[in-house]
Amino acid sequence: MSVLDSPAPSSRLASVGATAALELRGVTRMFGALAAIADVSLTVRPGERRAVLGSNGAGKTTLFNCITGDILPTSGTVRLFGEDVTRFPPYERIRRGLRRTYQISLLFPGLSVADSVYLACRGVSRWRYSLLRPRTGDPLLMRTAELIEAVHLTPARDRLVSELSYGQQRQLEIALALAGAPRLILFDEPAAGLSPAERRELVEILTTLPRHIGFVIIEHDMDVALRVAESVTMLHNGRVFKEGAPDEIEDDPEVQALYLGGAHG
Amino acid sequence: MAVAARTRSTLAATGRAAADPGIEAPWFARIPTGVWLVGAVLLTMPAYANNFVLFQVFGWSFILGIIALSLMFLAGYGGMVSLIQMTVAGLAGYMVAILGPSGTEQISLGLSWWIYLPVALAVATLFGTLVGTLAVRTEGIYTIMITLAIASAFFYFTRQNYTIFNGYNGFTLVRPPDLFGVDWRQPVPFYYLSLACAALCYAAVVYVARAPFGLALQGIRDNARRMAALGYNVTAHRILAYGFASVLAAVGGVLLVWQNGQIAPGTAGIPAVIDILVIAVVGGLRRPIGPFIGALIYVVLSSFAPDILTAFGLEPDRFKLIVGLGFLAAVFFSPDGVLGLWDRWQARRARRPDPLTGKVP
Amino acid sequence: MTGFVQRRPIATLAIAVVVAFFAWLVLAPWPPAVTEVMGPKRVFLSAILSGVTLGALYFLVASGFTLIFGLMRNVNLAHGSLYLLGGYIGFEVADRTGSWLLAFPIVFVITALIGIVLQYVVFRRMEGEELRQTLVTIGLSIVLADLMLAIWGGRSYQILTPDFLSGPMELPLVTAVRPNGDFVYLRYPRVRIWILAAAIVLGIAMWLVINRTRIGMLIRAGVDDREMLAASGLPVQAVFVAVFAFGAGLAGIAGIVGGTFQSLSPGEDTRFLLASLVVVIVGGMGSITGAALGALIVGLTEQIGLTYAPTYSVVFTFLLMAAVLAFRPQGLMGRRL
Repeated sequence: MSVLDSPAPSSRLASVGATAALELRGVTRMFGALAAIADVSLTVRPGERRAVLGSNGAGKTTLFNCITGDILPTSGTVRLFGEDVTRFPPYERIRRGLRRTYQISLLFPGLSVADSVYLACRGVSRWRYSLLRPRTGDPLLMRTAELIEAVHLTPARDRLVSELSYGQQRQLEIALALAGAPRLILFDEPAAGLSPAERRELVEILTTLPRHIGFVIIEHDMDVALRVAESVTMLHNGRVFKEGAPDEIEDDPEVQALYLGGAHG
Repeated sequence: MAVAARTRSTLAATGRAAADPGIEAPWFARIPTGVWLVGAVLLTMPAYANNFVLFQVFGWSFILGIIALSLMFLAGYGGMVSLIQMTVAGLAGYMVAILGPSGTEQISLGLSWWIYLPVALAVATLFGTLVGTLAVRTEGIYTIMITLAIASAFFYFTRQNYTIFNGYNGFTLVRPPDLFGVDWRQPVPFYYLSLACAALCYAAVVYVARAPFGLALQGIRDNARRMAALGYNVTAHRILAYGFASVLAAVGGVLLVWQNGQIAPGTAGIPAVIDILVIAVVGGLRRPIGPFIGALIYVVLSSFAPDILTAFGLEPDRFKLIVGLGFLAAVFFSPDGVLGLWDRWQARRARRPDPLTGKVP
Repeated sequence: MTGFVQRRPIATLAIAVVVAFFAWLVLAPWPPAVTEVMGPKRVFLSAILSGVTLGALYFLVASGFTLIFGLMRNVNLAHGSLYLLGGYIGFEVADRTGSWLLAFPIVFVITALIGIVLQYVVFRRMEGEELRQTLVTIGLSIVLADLMLAIWGGRSYQILTPDFLSGPMELPLVTAVRPNGDFVYLRYPRVRIWILAAAIVLGIAMWLVINRTRIGMLIRAGVDDREMLAASGLPVQAVFVAVFAFGAGLAGIAGIVGGTFQSLSPGEDTRFLLASLVVVIVGGMGSITGAALGALIVGLTEQIGLTYAPTYSVVFTFLLMAAVLAFRPQGLMGRRL
């Protein structure tokens, strides 16, 4: 965080340091009479890597949707970097440094890889409505090239997204999430459907992210989730069931009975 | 039907050039030979075409093409099939007639061109943008219904209202200003005027399609929710797209009223509104050249329909039947219009075995 | 209903006040002060009745449109052509046989058959391609309009009202009070009143079929979740065809009604298509109650506008639609989009 690098009065420094990247307070989302998530409170520090685990229907994706603003919570507050964004539309949250990837690949079939990544960079910059084409040497074009390189898609940069393989689309998802200056990324099952080799590549990409970028990851693959996360939140029936370090959660008998045993036994 | 317009990734080309400066060709060298050829033919047209062809066939084709181009921009790049474009054009034409000089002297204000022209364009653009603001609140086929309903409301209103729009009669004797001492309604000057406007509008769409605004619009067409998750205000973007398209339609409308010399409710009546859709779809919604092809086909058909119809032993006034059947044929057999046929023919030719080796490339 | 009252108490109150005021205007003999502002009560009452009966006609056209949309997500922009075609055929039948009533079953069967052909030839082939289906219906409406122009020409036709429905009837609505204390009652064309009654009966019947029967359950299931309907093993295609035929038949019948109390000429097809569009945009797509409410509001707005501000009556209809779109894009009775 650049704010932390700059010299500042100790009181302000303390307050900035205390500001969570993401803070949920009593977030509830009802679908009819059914609570998809109920009274979820969660705090993610800047730069923290958190895994959210839980069986199908535990409310993980609803939680993400409430954080990004794709749906609004029925009650409770969502704060991003200290700011109450509960009622903000998604694009306002994105412009504040939040990013997200989608479980089902939701990309732009009619655009090329380069265009998609360029749009992601442009979306959080000024001039996103510009009618002028980028000029040669535009820093965003450089950044686009870097990002494509970072997710190993350079050979496919001019291909249409609809022509990419599934694994490549997942890599492109990550590139889109890394565009701009993300401070907190929500990864929704990034490893789903990937081959073991692609999973190793994914873990490498996630663990080598710059330290100031925090993320929350939903992942069924426990190997992936526990290797990249520093802390774990267990959801069960829409409620926070356990929180702790990866090894604590792994060893917890209740968790094992509920989740690890059920899903992977 | 997929109305996805695709553009070649010139952005990618620029990006590569950015990494390795010096290999990028100048912009005019990147224009394909076909465009040079078409441009040369169009520029020298007055040398061998008669006045009817210049004024009535090409002049009108360019105008309808510009209006249909504004629909193509919204539908092909934005996924929004708007039937309001002809109405926007009609409003621009009305503004020219109301603010500028016309034969209906009790209404027309007779202002000079440098006032009424920008005001007409601005009013029409504002109107189109407002309609867009309503239309983007819903999606897909609702857009067609809403824009059609508003277009018809405009038609009935102009027919009913005599204080501003002069009802059924509309305005006659609307003439372009005598700029630079040229009578712009003469076939040759008007031909070049409409050609220049069409070329400018075409170039603007081609250019903007690859600019951040146009790219983002295509992203929104493909996946609006994902674009919101990249920081784009999807609603605002769509409304601005309506604004951009309205400018094009308004330019077309000004030319239209100059060419006809008059404007009446029927100019933007329901049949005219539908015709623009027919032109854009028959030409092809995937590339900006499509609407111009569609417009040329439409104009040629309508100019020579009586002859064609009598040749087939039909009554000479069944032009609309041809239009309708042609449109149906396009939607049934080639959803990408004439452009789609062309693309398919090219693809088939590319797949034909090499005459020397017998191999299929 | 009760849910709405609880959620929006102020809106409910406002609606109740407006409705009560209207009821008072319609039922009570007007004091002179009101007459001074609004003109004679007779004019107002006939504007209201014209609005309501026009609403009945709009409902006949729009209910078929909205049913087809609700079930198949198909915007049939040839719906207005079916209306006009039904009217022309009805005219021919009534003209040749001399029986107005006979025109109804004949027109219903013919337009329903056209609907079935459309369903088989066009929509089933392009299932899921909403935009393309809509474009096809636009093409069809162009072709049909030109064919009708070729057959029936540009002149305007009126279907003669049968004897038993012609002439005015006296309604229990007071228009004025004579100096001697007698009430003057409103006289209004009998045929319009009967058509209004028929539309109400038809509307209630449709509502009952949709909400209280097995086939209605199928249709509603189709509106809510087409995949579920397809997966349930029920005869989905049969339901689709039946609804399409019924909707098309209704449009044809509406053509007879429209030809009886207005007239038939080229351009009426688009006029009624647009009326249907506005009605369902205002009322909410795919809902019969929405179509009824929308038709009533649009009919009233149009006629009151025509009576009191003739130059701007179209603007009122348009403003109504714009307001609904701005504040409730799914329509008054529609579900969230």
